[in-house]
Amino acid sequence: MQYFRLSPVKGFRVRLYLLFTGTIALLTAAFVFFYVITEINGFRSTLEREGRLLATILAQNARLPLFAENREALSLLAAGTARYPSVLFVSINNSDGLPLTEVKNPKDSGGGAIDMKVPVTSPGRVLSPEAVLLGHAKVDEERVIGQVHLRLDTSGAHERLKKLVAASLAIGTLFWIFVSLLSYQILKRVTASFNMLMGGIEEIGSGNLSSRVNLHGDDELGRGANAINAMAASLELRELENLALQEELLNSMKLEVQEEKRRVMARLIHTNKMTSLGLLLSSMAHEINNPNASIRFSGHIIARIWQDVVPLLDRVCREEGAFYLGGLPFQKARGALAENAANIVENSERIARVVQGLREYGAGDGAGLRPNLVLNDAVAAALSVLACQMKQDVRLRTSLGTDIPPISGNKQQIEQVLINLILNAMQAFPDGRGEVVLTTRHDRDASEVVVEVEDNGVGILADTMERLFEPFFSTKLNQGGSGLGLYISQYIVAEHGGRLQLSSTPGSATRALMILPVGGVPL
Amino acid sequence: MQFLRILLVGVLLLAPLPATAYDILVLQSLREKGYDEAVKGVKRECQATMRTVVLSDYAETDITRIMREEHPRLVIAVGDRALEVAEKLRNTPVLYMMALNVKQRPKSSMTGVGMLFDPVKYLSVFDSIGSKRVGVVCDPSKSGAYLKRAQAAARRNGINLVVREVHSPRETPAMLDSLRGKVDALWMLPDVTAVSPATTEAYFLFTQGERVPLVTFAEVYLSMGGAVALGIDRFDIGKQLGEMAQSVLDGTPVDQIPTQSPRRALLKANDGVLRQLRISLGGGG
Repeated sequence: MQYFRLSPVKGFRVRLYLLFTGTIALLTAAFVFFYVITEINGFRSTLEREGRLLATILAQNARLPLFAENREALSLLAAGTARYPSVLFVSINNSDGLPLTEVKNPKDSGGGAIDMKVPVTSPGRVLSPEAVLLGHAKVDEERVIGQVHLRLDTSGAHERLKKLVAASLAIGTLFWIFVSLLSYQILKRVTASFNMLMGGIEEIGSGNLSSRVNLHGDDELGRGANAINAMAASLELRELENLALQEELLNSMKLEVQEEKRRVMARLIHTNKMTSLGLLLSSMAHEINNPNASIRFSGHIIARIWQDVVPLLDRVCREEGAFYLGGLPFQKARGALAENAANIVENSERIARVVQGLREYGAGDGAGLRPNLVLNDAVAAALSVLACQMKQDVRLRTSLGTDIPPISGNKQQIEQVLINLILNAMQAFPDGRGEVVLTTRHDRDASEVVVEVEDNGVGILADTMERLFEPFFSTKLNQGGSGLGLYISQYIVAEHGGRLQLSSTPGSATRALMILPVGGVPL
Repeated sequence: MQFLRILLVGVLLLAPLPATAYDILVLQSLREKGYDEAVKGVKRECQATMRTVVLSDYAETDITRIMREEHPRLVIAVGDRALEVAEKLRNTPVLYMMALNVKQRPKSSMTGVGMLFDPVKYLSVFDSIGSKRVGVVCDPSKSGAYLKRAQAAARRNGINLVVREVHSPRETPAMLDSLRGKVDALWMLPDVTAVSPATTEAYFLFTQGERVPLVTFAEVYLSMGGAVALGIDRFDIGKQLGEMAQSVLDGTPVDQIPTQSPRRALLKANDGVLRQLRISLGGGG
């Protein structure tokens, strides 16, 4: 089912005009209606009054002839009254209701008639001669002696009604048209300012804040236009400010994105480097392990063989006398060979541990944090990796706490941080001589474990200190430094929920602190 | 209320009244201003003691009983009804006034003052306004005697009375019409047949149409179009009757006192009508 609805009139001027003209039309129609009703009633009332007047006059004139029953005189009076155009019928009756004379007008009554009956009375307040002589008081008593009956033609009322309605409608319509035109002009003039104001508001509302309502005046609309213009100006100013702020924000975001991009790229590069390093270490470990195993096996074989040969050689020495082996007397060589064989096995095992450490470092899982990480184990692993880097003139002194609780963490990452810190400390001596102290301890109050690496090197300048944790910043770029050691170390420590602190006294000492929480990484 | 009145009258009449010592019993028909004026005139002239009985106050009056018990020396009847009651008396002289329907009887113990002036007074008025043909409409059964006196006096004064007799009020307009062009003035007599409330205006219409003066018997008609009125003075009638009563009380037999006409006439004129008719009371217009 489809419904048809008149679309609402949206124009204020049109609505006002329709309302006004509708009201005027209603008022005009009401006026015409009441005017016609009033006129018709007035005409009927006039007709009745005229008829009553005629009847009263006839009754007055007919009083004496009626009293005297003078039919001739009554006929003359009735005929005289019947000459009036609206009179259709005249009758004068006596007190018994019998007509003494009747006159009928031959014209057609057509549209109706009204009957008018007036009693004929003897004059009141006229006394008899006796009463007059005796001084009796007047009595206002009229005696009915007959009746005058008139029938009046009301067809004129209908004709008059038609003409009146037609004229009233014509005049009312003309009046309505005139008032409608006049009201349109007035409304057009009155609402021009309103439309101008609305146009300006719509223009501003559409987003053109530089637009203004071009309306001047001290009336309400003028004041409203001024207020809207002020509001538009304020909005325009805010809009400009917003645009500037957006642009500034956009630039900042661009810079930040670029910076983040750089960081990501650096991390990717580092990751790539570490991946390559891991592959290299794995390859190296594989290549070293094989001969190393052979060496260790050889060492064991040598030791076993020597163990079996020594009794023979002892008997030869006893029997044959002292002899030399490898330029050494048998008694010395006997012990030295066993010792060297043991050294071969020991060092081979050491090589194996180093290689194993390198493999674990290179192929380590950096993503997962595992519980029960023993900090001292990580320290030992780092030191084993750095064993070959130890310099003769740099003394490494360790003081590992015994009451350190296990923590949650990634052993390889912690080892990497320790290696970076120890290497930095070992490189802090310009003449290659110095002491590095590595200490681990448990801070029960803070529920933290602390690794402290302290050197008595050249220290760090204040300018350098501010940029220590920047990526790719290094004072040893020409010595192969990547500038990522402390940056990555700080990242790793932060990932473990800890913090990395560096303090230095330029020219005397530097101390690095890695502080990790005991309870694991806080969420 | 009516019952209370009857009861009161009964109590008054049946109660043993003390022997009163008054001379005149005044029987008044109604409590009307005209009657009161006349009674006042009587009292002014006659100093005898009186008792007044207003008949309209009682449903029925036993005049015989009153006369038997109170023995007044004279009865004054004021008005036609009082006269009608007093006519029953045989042994007590009766004086009447303010009565129109007086029936004269020979050797009657009744006399009084009538309501009609001597015709000469009217004729003198006609004479003063210069009217020689005077129309008169009257009922002979009511005004015949007075008309005869008037005709006789008119003949003496050289005035022609054009008389139209009516026997019913309905005849008056036609009779008046018959006088058109035949009279110089119209004389309205206090004739209840000729002058009825329904036909009174016919007189004025006639005089207006004929432009002749109407001489009437009461001032009230002047405002309706009458030219001259000879009105009675009721107080003076009372005085006149008071003199007669005093005379009777003094011993004059009633039958020796003739019936009198009112002696004092109040002449009033409608100046406007006279001016329009160009008539002055001093002479003809």
